[in-house]
Amino acid sequence: MWMVNVRSPYGARRLALGLFAFILAALFLFPSQSQGLLDFLDGPVGQLVRLPLEAVASLDQGISDVWQRYVTLQGVEDENRRLRQDIEWLRGENNHLRESASATQRLTTLLRFKEQALPTMVAAQVIGKDATNRYRSVILNKGESDGIHPDMGVVTPSGVVGRVVKTTGGTSVVLLVTDPNNAIAGLIQRTRDEGIVEGTPQGKVRLKYIPLLSGVRDGDRVVTSGLVGGFPRGLAIGTITGIAKEEGALFQTAELTPEVDVNRVEEVLVIQSPQGQSAAVEEKTDSAAKSRP
Amino acid sequence: MKVLLYLGLVLLLVPVQTTLLPHVSLWGIKPDLGLVIAAVIGLIAGELEGLLVGLAIGWVLNLYSAGDLWLSIVTTGGAGLFAGLLGRQVAQVTPTILCIGLLTLSLAGGVVAVFSLKNATMSETWWMIQSVVLPQACFDALLGAGVLWLMEQRFAVQRLRTFGRFS
Repeated sequence: MWMVNVRSPYGARRLALGLFAFILAALFLFPSQSQGLLDFLDGPVGQLVRLPLEAVASLDQGISDVWQRYVTLQGVEDENRRLRQDIEWLRGENNHLRESASATQRLTTLLRFKEQALPTMVAAQVIGKDATNRYRSVILNKGESDGIHPDMGVVTPSGVVGRVVKTTGGTSVVLLVTDPNNAIAGLIQRTRDEGIVEGTPQGKVRLKYIPLLSGVRDGDRVVTSGLVGGFPRGLAIGTITGIAKEEGALFQTAELTPEVDVNRVEEVLVIQSPQGQSAAVEEKTDSAAKSRP
Repeated sequence: MKVLLYLGLVLLLVPVQTTLLPHVSLWGIKPDLGLVIAAVIGLIAGELEGLLVGLAIGWVLNLYSAGDLWLSIVTTGGAGLFAGLLGRQVAQVTPTILCIGLLTLSLAGGVVAVFSLKNATMSETWWMIQSVVLPQACFDALLGAGVLWLMEQRFAVQRLRTFGRFS
């Protein structure tokens, strides 16, 4: 029988090269099978790594809290004055929006529109950033055991943060809206034109595929369209700061300033069901009714 | 004992890479600690151990990254394997040689990763190579050379390597 003597340098070299070649071949020839094999181990390994990860993250959070509370207090007075002005302005806007909301409610009842259910969400904490520099993503302290799955949308009360792309038992990876691999269906709030929101390698955000005849302009707000993906309609994505119309192009592209500063986000909400619990139940009942003979 | 040491190293590497290193990043670029550790282990303990530890590091770190699994496994495992082969072929591996080797490996891995990005135009790809891949490769190379230099000051690395080669 042919055997490799691992203790001999030549045996170890042969085995190492053979193993590397085998892994390369398995990854390229049978990508889904090899991925599936490793997925079995993701859960237990994820739970094992979760312990040191959460310990270090909580230590890190503690140090940064102390730093923010006691050391960086210099600009607090100016900040307070600015925030008081903001509150005054927001109170005014709030009154105006209440008026609009009650008018909308009246019209909705009048037209018998189906009320949009609130999405079901779970809160999570950011405990780390992507292990590489090539992707813009953050790690959350909740995973599959908390009901989080890939493709779920992630938001803060201000707006969209990104999309879950990977989960282990106790953690999940969120690809930020500023990453070039991310694509979210967006809608210009004023003109109702749709497009695709994606990140750029420089960490900015752009809205692509805006129709050439669209009257889009700087300062227009972009929200989620709710047509595809894990986001309900109307969540803020960003504000348009520049429009590019290339000669001979079929569409326009706009640059956006994201609503959320994704580099500083600490707590997020993961959207488990964009249409809410009631809508999901309703959908299930509908499909059950349809499948009945 | 060695297995437990490697296991501890891999488990500790994740929080250090994902939680602590972003605080010490320069211009938003942090070094790939997994690549450096796999290369140093390959150099000291041989190609087989370097490969196995590199594969484990690549796989576990990939659980906490949005990147592709194959790239992470191939880059980190390859770093351990090639450092081990280099250690056997070169009579004396100095920090400078490791620096050049890591620079090449990190650049190669980074360029492949950037070219595998979807939706990126040529100018954006070039921007990523200039602003992310190249600085990170320099960072990795300097860190690897620093780690090896520190180990040479503290331990008899040459003896460890020779022991590994003839035991």
